[in-house]
Amino acid sequence: MTYKITEEDNISTIFLDGEIDMDKTEEVKEVIFPIIDSGKDVALNLSNVQYMDSSGISVLIESHQKALEKGTKVIIKDVSKSVLKVIMMAKLEQILNLE
Amino acid sequence: MTDLNHIEKKAFLVKSSSLKDVRTFCREVFEKLNIEQNLKDELVLAIAEAAQNIVKHAYKDKPDANEIMVVEISLVNKEMKIAFYDMGTPVDPKKVKHREIDNVKPGGLGTFFMQEIMDAVEFKDGKKPWINHLVLTKQL
Repeated sequence: MTYKITEEDNISTIFLDGEIDMDKTEEVKEVIFPIIDSGKDVALNLSNVQYMDSSGISVLIESHQKALEKGTKVIIKDVSKSVLKVIMMAKLEQILNLE
Repeated sequence: MTDLNHIEKKAFLVKSSSLKDVRTFCREVFEKLNIEQNLKDELVLAIAEAAQNIVKHAYKDKPDANEIMVVEISLVNKEMKIAFYDMGTPVDPKKVKHREIDNVKPGGLGTFFMQEIMDAVEFKDGKKPWINHLVLTKQL
């Protein structure tokens, strides 16, 4: 998995690239969580994530909940069709901030 | 989808870095079987969740065991069976359940995904040397 981060105003956009499974979740958390902890809003661009399993979905939930605790937000942007299907299977499309 | 009957199996080291190889194996088999993309994605997810459970739960107490798990995919008379064999801690099927889907929290979704995608998710008796034998079934 690779990633790129861009900054604009108080929003950090994280472009994730690759497949997110149990083997990659710690790596993903290490990218996302410090930004949430710093008090910034996070936009997660998932257009180049073609596969995500329940571990990846757990990271999305954890990020969302962590942001709520910190008074910031995590927006999930440009979700690929295959990942959106998994999010919908988990019935999270109304819970997570999808754009 | 092909009408031919087909069986393929492969062994993988029980570790999280093998999960990508499990998915690659499944995708290659489903490609040969001409399974359409949507169904292929669902089946790969169900299989990957089952393999993940083996790594995460059956080998929780022996992460460096260097042992193998076997994944066997068969399509016979349009019935897809995916069998998993491992020698980890015995699984008590009664304790395998997903979290309530409305109780949003991290974890507990893997089994839910398997049950949503497949017609049946069953633990069978593991024949020696195997301890656990999980079978996922779906009529295609």
